[in-house]
Amino acid sequence: MAVAKADFEACQGYANCVMAAPTVYDIDDDGTVVLLKEQISEEERSKVEEAVKSCPVSALSIEDE
Amino acid sequence: MTDQSAVLADVRRGMIPAHIYNDQEIFTLEKERIFSRAWVFVAHESEIARAGDYVVRRVLDDSFIVTRDEAGEIRAHFNMCLHRGMQVCRAEMGNASHFRCPYHGWSYRNDGRIVGLPFHQDAYGGEAGFKRKGQRLLPAPNLDSHNGMIFISLDPDALPLRDFLGDFAFYLDYYTKQSPSGIEMRGPQRWRVKANWKIGAENFAGDMYHTPQTHTSVVEIGLFREPKAEKRKDGCTYWAGNGGGTTYKLPDGDLEERLSYVGYPQEMIERMKTSWSAEQCRVIGQDGFMISAASVFPNLSFVHNWPRVADSDDVLPFISVRQWQPISENETEILSWFAVDAEAPEEFKALSYKAYLMCFGSTGMFEQDDVENWVSLTNTAAGSMARRLRLNSRMGILADDTEVIPALTAEQFAGPGSAHVGYSEYNQRELLARWADHLERPVTAAAALHVGTTGVGEDRRAIATRNGADASDDPPALEHVPSEDAAEVTGA
Repeated sequence: MAVAKADFEACQGYANCVMAAPTVYDIDDDGTVVLLKEQISEEERSKVEEAVKSCPVSALSIEDE
Repeated sequence: MTDQSAVLADVRRGMIPAHIYNDQEIFTLEKERIFSRAWVFVAHESEIARAGDYVVRRVLDDSFIVTRDEAGEIRAHFNMCLHRGMQVCRAEMGNASHFRCPYHGWSYRNDGRIVGLPFHQDAYGGEAGFKRKGQRLLPAPNLDSHNGMIFISLDPDALPLRDFLGDFAFYLDYYTKQSPSGIEMRGPQRWRVKANWKIGAENFAGDMYHTPQTHTSVVEIGLFREPKAEKRKDGCTYWAGNGGGTTYKLPDGDLEERLSYVGYPQEMIERMKTSWSAEQCRVIGQDGFMISAASVFPNLSFVHNWPRVADSDDVLPFISVRQWQPISENETEILSWFAVDAEAPEEFKALSYKAYLMCFGSTGMFEQDDVENWVSLTNTAAGSMARRLRLNSRMGILADDTEVIPALTAEQFAGPGSAHVGYSEYNQRELLARWADHLERPVTAAAALHVGTTGVGEDRRAIATRNGADASDDPPALEHVPSEDAAEVTGA
């Protein structure tokens, strides 16, 4: 199962991930990424990959567990 | 600024100073006093049917993203990033859950709330330096819709839209409510002509007099049955509330026969009979008048015509919605939509679209005829001789203002407002009287909105209070009306 990971210290609040995969990522009131879910379905995977790739500070990743 | 009171006085007695159709100072006043407070049409709800759908439309120089947010509410966001003022949406239409500014990457949800503000902590010291919480794209000061037609006003104190339309709403139903589902709109085609915006608005409001002359060739080649000189004077013009239009007098018959005469199939007629009030049915069925062109002050027009579409005597009706978007005192961007009853049979929709394209839109025959006149008129209005000329726009009334032909009585015409048969310029005078009323009234400066500083809260509350809303941060938005195909929530 693929798992979405985020480095909350590295996040700078660009929100590119929210645009790419709004069902997985959000930004809280402090401007930091929030993982709405960690377990990623196969259908969601391409959007999450797009989010990971689009993060300007490389704060996101996918791990296969 | 030049004192325009003499110009307005002339206009009010139906004598039009010719230079108002190409005058930079007048245009500056129009921008400030008409388009900064009147309700201006921006889109139809059918253009943004699904969550995330948006169109970008302008009110003169101000660009707005008109969008349906993820919750289904219709909103109009001023298309300017709160940071450096870049347009956050550069496409003309599409579907998006968010809008990201191309300059520094700030992003906003489609309900307007800010979501991405890169390096908020490093760059501003977080909330202490820039209040990110509650920031949203600036909403249009006022937003409302009627029969799915979405209007915005830049005046937070504007009258409610329904009051602004007034009794014209009665006639608006003929174009936009032929069934419970209302209309769907296609387009717009968008192009610019070197003509003043008022000319089109006046023409569609009430100029039945130009049809036999300007559009002679269309009649001669047999594509149009109606606009012969003797036919147009039998129709009436009506003015009600903030709009008015022209009609054709149809041959004897009842409601069904007359709707059928202009080409509506029986199943559409059945829906019209249940969608319209008894009075709305009576105007056609008993009084015998079929709506044709119309304008709503300041710059929205409609047309309903029924040309021949083949080599037979069969005619087919179409509806177009159009806007005369001012660019300058001598240039107008025309937005022309095709509109059709959403419940109409697909075959009717396809044929009606063809009929529309033949007559109106950038290549339409009527359009070409009209614009040739309007460009020429605008050109000539720029010179010094035009400043000496007061055009006579008093057709239909005598020197002492009595009517050449008395107004139709309630027994002769069941619609609200005032209606007259015969050639006249009542409606052009009505439109320009509203124009004069607006130009005469100074506007008060709108409150400034300070982004990210402590000033922001007060200003936002001020806007909300003037709207009669509570002192929350909720901008004007239209409630979601659930429909079957609006349920899908899309991603980016």
